[in-house]
Amino acid sequence: MKKFLALLMAACMLLSAVPALADVADTVAAAADLTHDELVEKALAETGTFVVAGTTSRITTAAEAFAELYGIEINSTNLKDLEIYTKLESESIDMVMIQDGAQLLDAIDAGIVINYVPASVKADVSEEDQYPLAHQFTNKLFIYNNLGDDVPAIHNVWELTDPSMKERIIFKSPTGEQVNMNFLIMLTSEKWSKKLEEAYKAWKGEDIDLGDYPTAGHKWIAEFLPNCQFGKSDTNIAEEISQETAAGKIGLFVLSKLRSSSVLSDNLTPAQYAASAEGYTVEPFSGFMYPIYAMVSANANRPYTAMLFIEYVMTAEGFAPWGKSIGAYSGNSAIPEKEGDLPLSVWKDTLVEEDPEYILDNFEVEDFVRQYLQ
Amino acid sequence: MQQTQTGKVKFSRIKGRLHAWFSKPANIILLVFLIALTVLTLYPLLSLLMETFTVHMGKEARAAKLPVGAFTWYHFQRVFATRDNNYSWIQFYKPLLNTLAVSVTSSVIAILFGGMVAFLVTRTNLKYKKFVSAVFTFPYIMPSWTLALFWETFFKNVNIGLKTSNGIMASVFGVYMPEWFVYGYFPIALVLGLHYAPFAYILIGGILRNMDANLEEAATILRTPRWRIIWRITLPIVKPAMLSTFLLVFASSMSAYSVPVFLGSPVRYYVLSTTMKELMNTYKGQAYIIVGVMILFGVAILMLNQKVTNSRKQFTTVTGKSGQISKIDLKRANAPIAIILVIILLLVAVVPLVTFALESLIIKAGDYSLGNMTLDFWVGTGLDKRLDQGDSTGILLNPKVWKALGYSLGLAVTCSVIAGTSGILVGYGVAKRRGSRLANWVSSLSFFPYLMPSLAFGAIYLAMSSNITWLHGFLLLALVGSVKYLPFASRSGVNAMLQLSGEIEEAALITGVPWWKRMLRVIFPIQKSSFLSGYLLPMVSCMRELSLFVLIVPTSNTILTTMLMQYSEKGWAQFGNAINLLIIVVVLLVNFTVNKLTGASIDKGVGG
Repeated sequence: MKKFLALLMAACMLLSAVPALADVADTVAAAADLTHDELVEKALAETGTFVVAGTTSRITTAAEAFAELYGIEINSTNLKDLEIYTKLESESIDMVMIQDGAQLLDAIDAGIVINYVPASVKADVSEEDQYPLAHQFTNKLFIYNNLGDDVPAIHNVWELTDPSMKERIIFKSPTGEQVNMNFLIMLTSEKWSKKLEEAYKAWKGEDIDLGDYPTAGHKWIAEFLPNCQFGKSDTNIAEEISQETAAGKIGLFVLSKLRSSSVLSDNLTPAQYAASAEGYTVEPFSGFMYPIYAMVSANANRPYTAMLFIEYVMTAEGFAPWGKSIGAYSGNSAIPEKEGDLPLSVWKDTLVEEDPEYILDNFEVEDFVRQYLQ
Repeated sequence: MQQTQTGKVKFSRIKGRLHAWFSKPANIILLVFLIALTVLTLYPLLSLLMETFTVHMGKEARAAKLPVGAFTWYHFQRVFATRDNNYSWIQFYKPLLNTLAVSVTSSVIAILFGGMVAFLVTRTNLKYKKFVSAVFTFPYIMPSWTLALFWETFFKNVNIGLKTSNGIMASVFGVYMPEWFVYGYFPIALVLGLHYAPFAYILIGGILRNMDANLEEAATILRTPRWRIIWRITLPIVKPAMLSTFLLVFASSMSAYSVPVFLGSPVRYYVLSTTMKELMNTYKGQAYIIVGVMILFGVAILMLNQKVTNSRKQFTTVTGKSGQISKIDLKRANAPIAIILVIILLLVAVVPLVTFALESLIIKAGDYSLGNMTLDFWVGTGLDKRLDQGDSTGILLNPKVWKALGYSLGLAVTCSVIAGTSGILVGYGVAKRRGSRLANWVSSLSFFPYLMPSLAFGAIYLAMSSNITWLHGFLLLALVGSVKYLPFASRSGVNAMLQLSGEIEEAALITGVPWWKRMLRVIFPIQKSSFLSGYLLPMVSCMRELSLFVLIVPTSNTILTTMLMQYSEKGWAQFGNAINLLIIVVVLLVNFTVNKLTGASIDKGVGG
């Protein structure tokens, strides 16, 4: 009988523990106004290893500094965007840093991840970047090899659709990384199609003939992609284009890759840098930009620690692993860009930004894109 | 009254039969494995089937305009019959044709190359046989992407692919290979063919070594020309082995992922496995349909193989009377053939290792001068500040690497113990109950995991594990690895057991020695090296496995291969190359040590 009672009690305790795990969303909602000190107190009361995963490799450096600061045992992993969702289904992860806003909106709706804006930094994050919370922005720019006689220093993106650019552009396959696909989908929006129409006129001196294409965005995609070669990773593309043997090549890749020791960065020029220095604009965009979001995982064992870590990476100290080089811009407007880089405001004016809602409503553009990847 | 008595008699008769049936260990073993394998292989297959009719979260739900979890034909319609934007052609039919072309060609290459070398080693007086024999299994021991990576690094040049930089062949020797040679159909088929050629070497070589020389000798006495002897006698005898090789290589090539990614993607050459991986992240239902198609092809070839081998004329190839096998004297051709073969093997097995070592030392890609070399990627510290790339220490000083190595080794040992032991037991059961329906079922079921593409196998188990709370982490990896590698172990187990005469055990049986003691004291010692080979093959395969574990490896404990993949994807080539070399060295060391200590070897594992 005693044994039975003990078992029953154990079962009850187990059952009562389950709702506690399931209520991470409530915990996060209730913590919206917690001060830094209150957050620290609650986070330190939590037990177990703190697990973070992110699409950015520098999450490891940030996590190690955070662990040292608060004396917390931590485990950090670098994963690809879509892998993170697969992992979240099967493993307990406390906090994630993730790109691709469209998929993220679906994940928030499904209750897989939870948005949290730390009270201490809320005033410095613009309203449109609070839901979902944009930790930082990453830009992929048209960057060209500046050697030789035929430098592709473009002034207009329609130049990239010219037959003379065949096999001279290197990009990462849109089916390999969703943010690349999102960029192409955004071009079919009214705003960017109109800008592309105007840019076409500026380039050719005549109105665009769309033919069977529904928008100028579709036409640009259909003529741009066949000129592209697809590299394995952004680092690989940066390395390849920076070679002396790669004169005449241009790529669309992450600006921060110029920091890498294996890249001959002297041989590379971002089109927007040249444009800003010489006072012209690359019509109508010089690349694209997407946020990396910081989220609490719904299956977090340490939700308060997850919130404290989000607060930490939104401060200058926590952003340091990213902010030390060009090409990373904090969602916290009080943190300036790296010296020598252009400010976020310039990039917001010159790059194509993601609109998760538009992407979700127009995902069938992906089928259109796919046929030009063959 | 009489009826009750008859009933009682019937009951006791059934009871008696059951008792007799269950008193034989072979029956119990077969029954246990039948149940276990049904759960572990048919259940995943069933859940795979269910997934193809289910709406998943994300774009899929949006596109199908149905709630998550609803029943749908949408995935089938998309994969097989969507003409808009050429969707089905791009996502399914074209990759299918490419897959078939690559798989058939690689099977032919493997059979021709492996078979020819097997013939040269067993039936001629070829020079350097020992070296050829030892090095020939290297490509199989190494991860399959090794050769692909090497191929690209070695042959790429500014005229092809990304057209940006020169590999070793162009920059050092000034030779610029054409695109078809470096990327796409030809190199994928060739690399896979070379990687799986050891299958042919082992299977065909095994028969050639043991076949009755009298058949050929009789033909020689009758003055039959040498080519005719090979065509009419030797080839028909090795035909079943050739068909088995075809099955193994075809199924493996069909599900190969990393080789087509490295050598196909740069020229937009896609196969089913690459499309499947891409779809797995966004349109799971369609990905599972593609997996189903791949399995169907595997099953079809398996059935064809069984039909052909069953209907073939029976040859008694291994007899007690056969004398020395007559060896063909290659005469003046001996040295040239031997030298060409050694060069090919050096290129395939040794040069890649040297390349990886070199690539792990250079700082800036493509510059092979001494000034551009460093040991930092192996033993450096503070690298994040100096190189601003990758980890802060070289791989040998990185605790994460050692932890991953330990985890990989632990996993490999666990999988090999489970798969190897199961293989022996299955072998015992099947051999003892040879020809019975139960034995046939267990034998077929234990081969089935081989036909499931690794990536999909991992994905299905991942889906299953989300419903089973205790099935996570190491336990999940060990279970998946053990089931997936069971075909190797059960194959060698069955072959080893079939070679044993029943009398051997009967002697012990009569004196009343218990079953486990007969296994440990009588059977195991006799076939020790074959059994140990059944342990070695799963272990080696597990150490170099990527696709199977990539989805299910826990975030807190990576294994070496997934770590390597992460580094490669990030473009940290030097760290990646260093880890790749580390994996190969560890695998070769394990193989060598086990071989020296126990006499077990890979070739015995595959060939039995």
